[in-house]
Amino acid sequence: MKAFSTYSLPIFLALVVHAGIAVLVIMNFESKQLPATIDVEPYYIEASVVSKNPHTVKKQQQEQQRKAKASRDKARRLAKKEKDRQDKINADKLNAAKIESETLVEKELIKDTNVAQSFPDNTNTQVEELREQERIKMEESLSLAIMDEQVGIRAVTDDEKAMAFVSQIQREIIQNWSRPPSARNGMQALLRVYLVPTGEVVNVVVEQSSGNDAFDRSALLAVRKAERFVVPAQSRQFERNFREFEVLFRPEDLRL
Amino acid sequence: MTEQLSIIDLMLNATVTVQIVMGILMLASMASWVMIFQRGFSLSHIKRDSAAFEDEFWSGKDLRKIYLELEEHEGELIGMEHIFHQGFKEFTRLRQQKDTDADRIMQNVQRSMRVAMSREEERLEMHLAFLATVGSTSPYIGLFGTVWGIMNSFRSLATVQQASLSIVAPGISEALIATAMGLFAAIPAVIAYNRFSAQVEIIMNRFEAFTDEFSGILSRAIHD
Repeated sequence: MKAFSTYSLPIFLALVVHAGIAVLVIMNFESKQLPATIDVEPYYIEASVVSKNPHTVKKQQQEQQRKAKASRDKARRLAKKEKDRQDKINADKLNAAKIESETLVEKELIKDTNVAQSFPDNTNTQVEELREQERIKMEESLSLAIMDEQVGIRAVTDDEKAMAFVSQIQREIIQNWSRPPSARNGMQALLRVYLVPTGEVVNVVVEQSSGNDAFDRSALLAVRKAERFVVPAQSRQFERNFREFEVLFRPEDLRL
Repeated sequence: MTEQLSIIDLMLNATVTVQIVMGILMLASMASWVMIFQRGFSLSHIKRDSAAFEDEFWSGKDLRKIYLELEEHEGELIGMEHIFHQGFKEFTRLRQQKDTDADRIMQNVQRSMRVAMSREEERLEMHLAFLATVGSTSPYIGLFGTVWGIMNSFRSLATVQQASLSIVAPGISEALIATAMGLFAAIPAVIAYNRFSAQVEIIMNRFEAFTDEFSGILSRAIHD
Protein backbone atom coordinates (compact mmCIF):
# COMPACT_ATOMS: atom_id res chain seq x y z
CA MET A 1 0.00 0.00 0.00
CA LYS A 2 2.79 2.30 0.89
CA ALA A 3 4.64 1.42 -2.25
CA PHE A 4 1.66 2.41 -4.27
CA SER A 5 1.85 6.06 -3.49
CA THR A 6 5.42 6.85 -2.47
CA TYR A 7 7.63 8.45 -5.05
CA SER A 8 10.73 9.24 -3.06
CA LEU A 9 12.41 5.89 -3.60
CA PRO A 10 11.66 5.82 -7.36
CA ILE A 11 12.93 9.37 -7.71
CA PHE A 12 16.10 8.48 -5.88
CA LEU A 13 16.63 5.39 -8.03
CA ALA A 14 15.99 7.33 -11.22
CA LEU A 15 18.55 9.91 -10.15
CA VAL A 16 21.06 7.16 -9.45
CA VAL A 17 20.45 5.60 -12.85
CA HIS A 18 20.91 8.91 -14.63
CA ALA A 19 24.01 9.84 -12.68
CA GLY A 20 25.51 6.44 -13.43
CA ILE A 21 24.82 6.73 -17.13
CA ALA A 22 26.10 10.30 -17.25
CA VAL A 23 29.34 9.25 -15.59
CA LEU A 24 29.70 6.33 -17.99
CA VAL A 25 29.11 8.48 -21.05
CA ILE A 26 31.49 11.20 -19.90
CA MET A 27 34.20 8.71 -19.05
CA ASN A 28 33.85 7.08 -22.44
CA PHE A 29 34.08 10.47 -24.08
CA GLU A 30 37.27 11.31 -22.21
CA SER A 31 38.96 8.05 -22.96
CA LYS A 32 38.38 8.54 -26.67
CA GLN A 33 41.75 10.29 -26.88
CA LEU A 34 43.59 7.43 -28.44
CA PRO A 35 47.13 7.91 -29.57
CA ALA A 36 47.19 8.45 -33.27
CA THR A 37 47.78 5.09 -34.84
CA ILE A 38 50.07 5.00 -37.80
CA ASP A 39 48.84 2.89 -40.61
CA VAL A 40 51.58 0.59 -41.66
CA GLU A 41 50.98 -0.23 -45.24
CA PRO A 42 52.26 -3.44 -46.67
CA TYR A 43 55.53 -2.54 -48.21
CA TYR A 44 55.58 -3.81 -51.73
CA ILE A 45 58.23 -1.69 -53.25
CA GLU A 46 60.99 0.55 -52.25
CA ALA A 47 61.57 3.81 -53.99
CA SER A 48 65.03 4.72 -52.94
CA VAL A 49 66.37 8.07 -53.92
CA VAL A 50 69.82 7.41 -55.21
CA SER A 51 71.33 10.41 -56.87
CA LYS A 52 72.05 13.55 -55.05
CA ASN A 53 72.52 16.02 -57.81
CA PRO A 54 76.25 15.97 -58.42
CA HIS A 55 76.26 19.44 -59.92
CA THR A 56 75.25 21.35 -56.83
CA VAL A 57 77.45 19.26 -54.61
CA LYS A 58 80.46 20.01 -56.73
CA LYS A 59 79.59 23.67 -56.75
CA GLN A 60 79.41 23.70 -53.00
CA GLN A 61 82.75 22.01 -52.72
CA GLN A 62 84.30 24.48 -55.12
CA GLU A 63 82.88 27.34 -53.15
CA GLN A 64 84.35 25.97 -49.98
CA GLN A 65 87.71 25.43 -51.56
CA ARG A 66 87.70 28.89 -52.98
CA LYS A 67 86.94 30.43 -49.62
CA ALA A 68 89.56 28.40 -47.86
CA LYS A 69 92.10 29.37 -50.46
CA ALA A 70 91.23 33.03 -50.18
CA SER A 71 91.69 33.09 -46.46
CA ARG A 72 94.89 31.14 -46.73
CA ASP A 73 96.19 33.65 -49.29
CA LYS A 74 95.26 36.46 -47.04
CA ALA A 75 97.08 34.87 -44.15
CA ARG A 76 100.09 34.31 -46.29
CA ARG A 77 100.05 37.89 -47.53
CA LEU A 78 99.84 39.22 -44.03
CA ALA A 79 102.63 37.01 -42.89
CA LYS A 80 104.79 38.12 -45.79
CA LYS A 81 104.17 41.76 -45.09
CA GLU A 82 105.08 41.29 -41.48
CA LYS A 83 108.19 39.46 -42.42
CA ASP A 84 109.24 42.20 -44.82
CA ARG A 85 108.78 44.76 -42.16
CA GLN A 86 110.78 42.72 -39.75
CA ASP A 87 113.55 42.18 -42.24
CA LYS A 88 113.73 45.83 -42.90
CA ILE A 89 113.96 46.65 -39.23
CA ASN A 90 116.60 44.05 -38.71
CA ALA A 91 118.58 45.36 -41.64
CA ASP A 92 118.34 48.89 -40.31
CA LYS A 93 119.53 47.80 -36.98
CA LEU A 94 122.37 45.85 -38.45
CA ASN A 95 123.34 48.84 -40.52
CA ALA A 96 123.30 51.10 -37.55
CA ALA A 97 125.38 48.64 -35.62
CA LYS A 98 127.87 48.49 -38.43
CA ILE A 99 128.21 52.23 -38.53
CA GLU A 100 128.67 52.34 -34.84
CA SER A 101 131.23 49.61 -34.81
CA GLU A 102 133.10 51.37 -37.50
CA THR A 103 133.11 54.68 -35.62
CA LEU A 104 133.54 53.57 -32.04
CA VAL A 105 135.24 50.45 -30.91
CA GLU A 106 134.37 51.12 -27.30
CA LYS A 107 130.81 51.07 -28.19
CA GLU A 108 131.14 47.42 -29.12
CA LEU A 109 129.47 46.49 -25.92
CA ILE A 110 126.60 48.81 -26.47
CA LYS A 111 126.18 47.51 -29.97
CA ASP A 112 126.10 44.00 -28.58
CA THR A 113 123.41 44.92 -26.17
CA ASN A 114 121.63 46.65 -28.99
CA VAL A 115 121.72 43.55 -31.03
CA ALA A 116 120.68 41.59 -27.99
CA GLN A 117 117.82 44.00 -27.55
CA SER A 118 116.80 43.71 -31.09
CA PHE A 119 116.60 39.97 -30.80
CA PRO A 120 113.77 39.78 -28.32
CA ASP A 121 112.00 42.31 -30.44
CA ASN A 122 112.34 40.04 -33.36
CA THR A 123 111.06 36.97 -31.56
CA ASN A 124 108.17 39.00 -30.25
CA THR A 125 106.97 39.87 -33.67
CA GLN A 126 107.45 36.32 -34.80
CA VAL A 127 105.24 35.08 -32.02
CA GLU A 128 102.66 37.65 -32.94
CA GLU A 129 102.81 36.56 -36.49
CA LEU A 130 102.27 32.99 -35.50
CA ARG A 131 99.35 33.97 -33.35
CA GLU A 132 97.81 35.93 -36.16
CA GLN A 133 98.09 32.95 -38.43
CA GLU A 134 96.57 30.72 -35.84
CA ARG A 135 93.69 33.09 -35.34
CA ILE A 136 93.02 33.23 -39.05
CA LYS A 137 93.12 29.49 -39.27
CA MET A 138 90.68 29.20 -36.39
CA GLU A 139 88.31 31.69 -37.90
CA GLU A 140 88.51 29.88 -41.12
CA SER A 141 87.72 26.53 -39.57
CA LEU A 142 84.93 28.08 -37.51
CA SER A 143 83.28 29.61 -40.54
CA LEU A 144 83.65 26.29 -42.32
CA ALA A 145 82.03 24.51 -39.42
CA ILE A 146 79.14 26.97 -39.38
CA MET A 147 78.66 26.52 -43.05
CA ASP A 148 78.71 22.77 -42.66
CA GLU A 149 76.15 22.99 -39.93
CA GLN A 150 73.84 25.17 -41.94
CA VAL A 151 74.10 22.85 -44.88
CA GLY A 152 73.43 19.95 -42.55
CA ILE A 153 70.29 21.54 -41.10
CA ARG A 154 68.98 22.33 -44.49
CA ALA A 155 69.74 18.80 -45.59
CA VAL A 156 67.85 17.33 -42.64
CA THR A 157 64.68 19.32 -43.24
CA ASP A 158 65.01 18.73 -46.94
CA ASP A 159 65.31 15.03 -46.36
CA GLU A 160 62.25 15.04 -44.17
CA LYS A 161 60.26 16.89 -46.77
CA ALA A 162 61.61 14.68 -49.47
CA MET A 163 60.51 11.59 -47.54
CA ALA A 164 56.90 12.73 -47.71
CA PHE A 165 57.14 13.11 -51.45
CA VAL A 166 58.92 9.82 -51.78
CA SER A 167 56.21 7.99 -49.90
CA GLN A 168 53.58 9.70 -52.01
CA ILE A 169 55.35 8.58 -55.15
CA GLN A 170 55.62 5.09 -53.72
CA ARG A 171 51.91 4.96 -53.09
CA GLU A 172 51.11 6.09 -56.59
CA ILE A 173 53.39 3.53 -58.13
CA ILE A 174 51.96 0.79 -55.93
CA GLN A 175 48.48 1.74 -56.98
CA ASN A 176 49.35 1.49 -60.61
CA TRP A 177 51.35 -1.68 -60.35
CA SER A 178 49.65 -4.88 -61.31
CA ARG A 179 52.03 -7.72 -60.82
CA PRO A 180 52.15 -10.45 -63.41
CA PRO A 181 51.26 -13.94 -62.23
CA SER A 182 54.79 -15.02 -62.89
CA ALA A 183 56.10 -12.74 -60.15
CA ARG A 184 57.96 -14.59 -57.44
CA ASN A 185 59.38 -13.64 -54.13
CA GLY A 186 62.96 -12.54 -54.37
CA MET A 187 62.63 -10.94 -57.76
CA GLN A 188 63.58 -7.34 -57.94
CA ALA A 189 63.76 -4.82 -60.71
CA LEU A 190 65.57 -1.55 -60.39
CA LEU A 191 64.19 1.26 -62.50
CA ARG A 192 65.58 4.69 -63.09
CA VAL A 193 62.98 7.38 -63.48
CA TYR A 194 63.61 10.79 -65.01
CA LEU A 195 61.26 13.63 -64.19
CA VAL A 196 60.86 17.21 -65.31
CA PRO A 197 60.17 19.89 -62.70
CA THR A 198 56.42 19.64 -63.26
CA GLY A 199 56.62 16.06 -62.04
CA GLU A 200 55.97 14.44 -65.39
CA VAL A 201 57.84 11.30 -66.19
CA VAL A 202 59.99 11.84 -69.21
CA ASN A 203 61.83 8.57 -69.20
CA VAL A 204 62.00 5.26 -67.41
CA VAL A 205 64.66 2.69 -67.95
CA VAL A 206 65.34 -0.67 -66.43
CA GLU A 207 68.56 -0.31 -64.56
CA GLN A 208 68.68 -3.82 -63.26
CA SER A 209 66.40 -6.47 -64.65
CA SER A 210 64.65 -8.99 -62.47
CA GLY A 211 65.29 -11.64 -65.06
CA ASN A 212 61.62 -11.87 -65.79
CA ASP A 213 60.47 -9.80 -68.76
CA ALA A 214 56.86 -9.68 -67.65
CA PHE A 215 57.87 -8.45 -64.25
CA ASP A 216 60.10 -5.73 -65.69
CA ARG A 217 57.39 -4.66 -68.06
CA SER A 218 54.82 -4.47 -65.30
CA ALA A 219 57.17 -2.28 -63.30
CA LEU A 220 57.79 0.01 -66.28
CA LEU A 221 54.09 0.18 -66.91
CA ALA A 222 53.39 1.08 -63.31
CA VAL A 223 55.64 4.12 -63.55
CA ARG A 224 54.39 5.11 -66.98
CA LYS A 225 50.77 4.80 -65.91
CA ALA A 226 51.40 7.16 -63.04
CA GLU A 227 52.54 9.65 -65.70
CA ARG A 228 52.95 12.42 -63.24
CA PHE A 229 54.17 12.53 -59.68
CA VAL A 230 53.80 15.17 -57.05
CA VAL A 231 57.22 16.76 -56.58
CA PRO A 232 58.44 19.63 -54.46
CA ALA A 233 57.84 23.02 -56.00
CA GLN A 234 61.24 24.30 -54.90
CA SER A 235 63.62 23.63 -57.68
CA ARG A 236 66.52 23.09 -55.29
CA GLN A 237 64.78 20.16 -53.68
CA PHE A 238 63.59 18.86 -56.99
CA GLU A 239 67.04 18.97 -58.46
CA ARG A 240 68.53 17.26 -55.49
CA ASN A 241 66.18 14.34 -55.14
CA PHE A 242 63.69 14.05 -57.92
CA ARG A 243 65.31 14.96 -61.19
CA GLU A 244 66.23 11.36 -61.47
CA PHE A 245 65.74 8.59 -58.97
CA GLU A 246 65.67 4.86 -58.77
CA VAL A 247 62.76 2.68 -57.84
CA LEU A 248 63.15 -0.86 -56.60
CA PHE A 249 60.28 -3.21 -57.31
CA ARG A 250 59.98 -6.18 -55.03
CA PRO A 251 56.94 -8.42 -54.63
CA GLU A 252 57.47 -8.94 -50.92
CA ASP A 253 53.95 -9.84 -50.06
CA LEU A 254 53.91 -12.94 -52.19
CA ARG A 255 54.38 -16.33 -50.64
CA LEU A 256 55.58 -18.04 -53.76
CA MET B 1 40.47 22.68 -32.38
CA THR B 2 43.16 21.70 -29.99
CA GLU B 3 40.84 21.60 -27.02
CA GLN B 4 39.13 18.30 -26.66
CA LEU B 5 35.40 18.16 -27.12
CA SER B 6 33.98 16.72 -23.97
CA ILE B 7 30.29 15.96 -23.90
CA ILE B 8 29.67 18.64 -21.31
CA ASP B 9 31.37 21.30 -23.40
CA LEU B 10 29.29 20.27 -26.36
CA MET B 11 26.08 20.53 -24.37
CA LEU B 12 26.98 23.89 -22.89
CA ASN B 13 27.96 25.35 -26.24
CA ALA B 14 24.86 24.16 -28.03
CA THR B 15 22.31 26.59 -29.38
CA VAL B 16 19.38 27.52 -27.17
CA THR B 17 16.86 25.44 -29.07
CA VAL B 18 19.00 22.37 -28.84
CA GLN B 19 19.57 23.02 -25.16
CA ILE B 20 15.83 23.32 -24.57
CA VAL B 21 15.27 20.08 -26.42
CA MET B 22 17.96 18.44 -24.34
CA GLY B 23 16.36 19.75 -21.17
CA ILE B 24 12.95 18.44 -22.14
CA LEU B 25 14.41 15.07 -22.97
CA MET B 26 16.33 14.99 -19.74
CA LEU B 27 13.15 15.71 -17.80
CA ALA B 28 11.23 13.13 -19.81
CA SER B 29 13.90 10.57 -19.16
CA MET B 30 13.94 11.37 -15.45
CA ALA B 31 10.17 11.22 -15.19
CA SER B 32 9.90 8.01 -17.15
CA TRP B 33 12.49 6.36 -14.95
CA VAL B 34 10.63 7.50 -11.86
CA MET B 35 7.48 5.96 -13.33
CA ILE B 36 9.30 2.81 -14.25
CA PHE B 37 10.54 2.25 -10.72
CA GLN B 38 7.27 3.32 -9.14
CA ARG B 39 5.22 1.05 -11.41
CA GLY B 40 7.60 -1.81 -10.97
CA PHE B 41 7.35 -1.65 -7.20
CA SER B 42 3.59 -1.15 -7.05
CA LEU B 43 2.77 -3.86 -9.59
CA SER B 44 4.92 -6.41 -7.85
CA HIS B 45 3.38 -5.32 -4.57
CA ILE B 46 -0.18 -5.80 -5.89
CA LYS B 47 0.74 -9.17 -7.32
CA ARG B 48 2.18 -10.31 -4.05
CA ASP B 49 -0.76 -9.03 -2.05
CA SER B 50 -3.28 -10.62 -4.37
CA ALA B 51 -1.51 -13.97 -4.19
CA ALA B 52 -1.47 -13.75 -0.40
CA PHE B 53 -5.14 -12.81 -0.29
CA GLU B 54 -6.08 -15.63 -2.63
CA ASP B 55 -4.26 -18.07 -0.38
CA GLU B 56 -6.18 -16.74 2.58
CA PHE B 57 -9.46 -16.81 0.68
CA TRP B 58 -9.10 -20.44 -0.35
CA SER B 59 -7.75 -21.56 3.01
CA GLY B 60 -11.33 -22.28 4.15
CA LYS B 61 -11.41 -19.39 6.56
CA ASP B 62 -14.80 -17.84 7.27
CA LEU B 63 -15.45 -15.12 4.73
CA ARG B 64 -17.17 -12.96 7.29
CA LYS B 65 -14.04 -13.05 9.42
CA ILE B 66 -11.88 -12.00 6.51
CA TYR B 67 -14.30 -9.20 5.76
CA LEU B 68 -14.16 -7.92 9.31
CA GLU B 69 -10.38 -7.97 9.21
CA LEU B 70 -10.40 -5.91 6.03
CA GLU B 71 -12.99 -3.55 7.39
CA GLU B 72 -10.46 -2.27 9.90
CA HIS B 73 -8.42 -0.49 7.26
CA GLU B 74 -11.04 0.13 4.68
CA GLY B 75 -9.68 3.22 2.97
CA GLU B 76 -6.39 1.71 1.93
CA LEU B 77 -7.47 -1.56 0.40
CA ILE B 78 -6.06 -2.39 -3.00
CA GLY B 79 -6.36 -5.11 -5.57
CA MET B 80 -8.23 -8.27 -4.80
CA GLU B 81 -8.89 -7.22 -1.21
CA HIS B 82 -10.69 -4.15 -2.43
CA ILE B 83 -12.85 -6.11 -4.85
CA PHE B 84 -13.70 -8.67 -2.21
CA HIS B 85 -14.49 -6.01 0.33
CA GLN B 86 -16.84 -4.12 -1.99
CA GLY B 87 -18.62 -7.25 -3.09
CA PHE B 88 -19.06 -8.64 0.39
CA LYS B 89 -20.24 -5.30 1.78
CA GLU B 90 -22.94 -5.07 -0.86
CA PHE B 91 -23.91 -8.68 -0.28
CA THR B 92 -24.33 -8.35 3.50
CA ARG B 93 -26.25 -5.10 3.16
CA LEU B 94 -28.73 -6.60 0.74
CA ARG B 95 -29.05 -9.80 2.76
CA GLN B 96 -30.03 -7.76 5.81
CA GLN B 97 -32.99 -6.26 3.95
CA LYS B 98 -34.55 -9.75 3.71
CA ASP B 99 -37.21 -8.93 1.13
CA THR B 100 -34.97 -8.76 -1.91
CA ASP B 101 -34.79 -11.70 -4.27
CA ALA B 102 -31.65 -13.65 -5.02
CA ASP B 103 -31.13 -12.45 -8.62
CA ARG B 104 -31.29 -8.82 -7.65
CA ILE B 105 -28.78 -9.37 -4.87
CA MET B 106 -26.39 -11.13 -7.22
CA GLN B 107 -26.73 -8.41 -9.84
CA ASN B 108 -25.96 -5.69 -7.35
CA VAL B 109 -23.02 -7.56 -5.88
CA GLN B 110 -21.59 -8.17 -9.31
CA ARG B 111 -22.05 -4.54 -10.26
CA SER B 112 -20.27 -3.27 -7.18
CA MET B 113 -17.42 -5.68 -7.79
CA ARG B 114 -17.17 -4.50 -11.39
CA VAL B 115 -16.94 -0.93 -10.20
CA ALA B 116 -14.20 -1.86 -7.74
CA MET B 117 -12.39 -3.75 -10.46
CA SER B 118 -12.48 -0.85 -12.89
CA ARG B 119 -11.14 1.40 -10.17
CA GLU B 120 -8.35 -1.10 -9.61
CA GLU B 121 -7.61 -1.22 -13.32
CA GLU B 122 -7.40 2.53 -13.40
CA ARG B 123 -4.96 2.44 -10.56
CA LEU B 124 -2.86 -0.26 -12.20
CA GLU B 125 -2.64 1.59 -15.46
CA MET B 126 -1.69 4.83 -13.86
CA HIS B 127 1.37 6.42 -15.58
CA LEU B 128 1.44 3.80 -18.30
CA ALA B 129 0.08 6.31 -20.77
CA PHE B 130 2.89 8.65 -19.82
CA LEU B 131 5.47 5.95 -20.53
CA ALA B 132 3.85 5.29 -23.89
CA THR B 133 3.96 8.98 -24.72
CA VAL B 134 7.62 9.32 -23.78
CA GLY B 135 8.44 6.17 -25.71
CA SER B 136 6.79 7.34 -28.88
CA THR B 137 7.55 11.07 -28.90
CA SER B 138 10.98 11.55 -27.40
CA PRO B 139 12.80 10.23 -30.50
CA TYR B 140 10.98 12.86 -32.49
CA ILE B 141 11.84 15.57 -30.03
CA GLY B 142 15.47 14.50 -30.16
CA LEU B 143 15.35 14.42 -33.92
CA PHE B 144 13.95 17.91 -33.96
CA GLY B 145 16.85 19.10 -31.83
CA THR B 146 19.32 17.40 -34.14
CA VAL B 147 17.79 18.80 -37.29
CA TRP B 148 17.78 22.25 -35.76
CA GLY B 149 21.40 21.98 -34.66
CA ILE B 150 22.57 20.70 -38.02
CA MET B 151 20.59 23.42 -39.75
CA ASN B 152 22.39 26.03 -37.70
CA SER B 153 25.82 24.56 -38.18
CA PHE B 154 25.34 24.44 -41.93
CA ARG B 155 24.10 27.98 -41.93
CA SER B 156 27.27 29.05 -40.16
CA LEU B 157 29.19 27.14 -42.81
CA ALA B 158 27.61 29.26 -45.52
CA THR B 159 29.12 32.46 -44.17
CA VAL B 160 32.64 31.14 -43.96
CA GLN B 161 35.05 31.61 -46.81
CA GLN B 162 37.09 28.51 -46.27
CA ALA B 163 34.66 25.70 -45.62
CA SER B 164 36.12 22.93 -43.57
CA LEU B 165 34.79 19.96 -41.71
CA SER B 166 36.00 21.31 -38.39
CA ILE B 167 33.52 24.17 -38.63
CA VAL B 168 30.44 21.97 -38.92
CA ALA B 169 31.65 18.96 -36.98
CA PRO B 170 31.14 20.34 -33.44
CA GLY B 171 27.68 21.62 -34.33
CA ILE B 172 26.64 18.30 -35.78
CA SER B 173 28.14 16.48 -32.85
CA GLU B 174 26.24 18.57 -30.34
CA ALA B 175 23.09 18.21 -32.37
CA LEU B 176 23.42 14.45 -32.47
CA ILE B 177 23.55 14.38 -28.69
CA ALA B 178 19.89 15.41 -28.80
CA THR B 179 18.98 12.34 -30.84
CA ALA B 180 21.02 10.16 -28.53
CA MET B 181 19.16 11.56 -25.55
CA GLY B 182 15.82 11.07 -27.25
CA LEU B 183 16.59 7.43 -27.89
CA PHE B 184 17.96 7.09 -24.41
CA ALA B 185 14.68 8.32 -22.99
CA ALA B 186 12.51 6.36 -25.40
CA ILE B 187 13.99 2.88 -25.26
CA PRO B 188 13.47 2.19 -21.54
CA ALA B 189 10.05 3.81 -21.68
CA VAL B 190 8.90 1.55 -24.52
CA ILE B 191 10.31 -1.56 -22.89
CA ALA B 192 8.75 -0.66 -19.56
CA TYR B 193 5.42 0.18 -21.17
CA ASN B 194 5.20 -3.18 -22.91
CA ARG B 195 6.25 -5.06 -19.84
CA PHE B 196 3.89 -3.25 -17.51
CA SER B 197 0.89 -3.45 -19.78
CA ALA B 198 1.42 -7.19 -20.06
CA GLN B 199 1.61 -7.41 -16.28
CA VAL B 200 -1.53 -5.33 -15.85
CA GLU B 201 -3.33 -7.67 -18.22
CA ILE B 202 -2.27 -10.69 -16.22
CA ILE B 203 -3.36 -9.09 -12.96
CA MET B 204 -6.69 -8.02 -14.42
CA ASN B 205 -7.32 -11.55 -15.67
CA ARG B 206 -6.67 -12.85 -12.22
CA PHE B 207 -9.05 -10.28 -10.74
CA GLU B 208 -11.75 -11.27 -13.20
CA ALA B 209 -11.33 -14.93 -12.40
CA PHE B 210 -11.52 -14.16 -8.73
CA THR B 211 -14.66 -12.08 -9.21
CA ASP B 212 -16.37 -14.93 -11.03
CA GLU B 213 -15.37 -17.43 -8.40
CA PHE B 214 -16.44 -15.19 -5.57
CA SER B 215 -19.85 -14.41 -7.12
CA GLY B 216 -20.30 -18.14 -7.64
CA ILE B 217 -19.69 -18.74 -3.97
CA LEU B 218 -22.07 -15.94 -3.00
CA SER B 219 -24.87 -17.16 -5.29
CA ARG B 220 -24.49 -20.64 -3.83
CA ALA B 221 -24.81 -19.08 -0.37
CA ILE B 222 -28.03 -17.24 -1.40
CA HIS B 223 -29.69 -20.21 -3.04
CA ASP B 224 -28.92 -22.63 -0.26
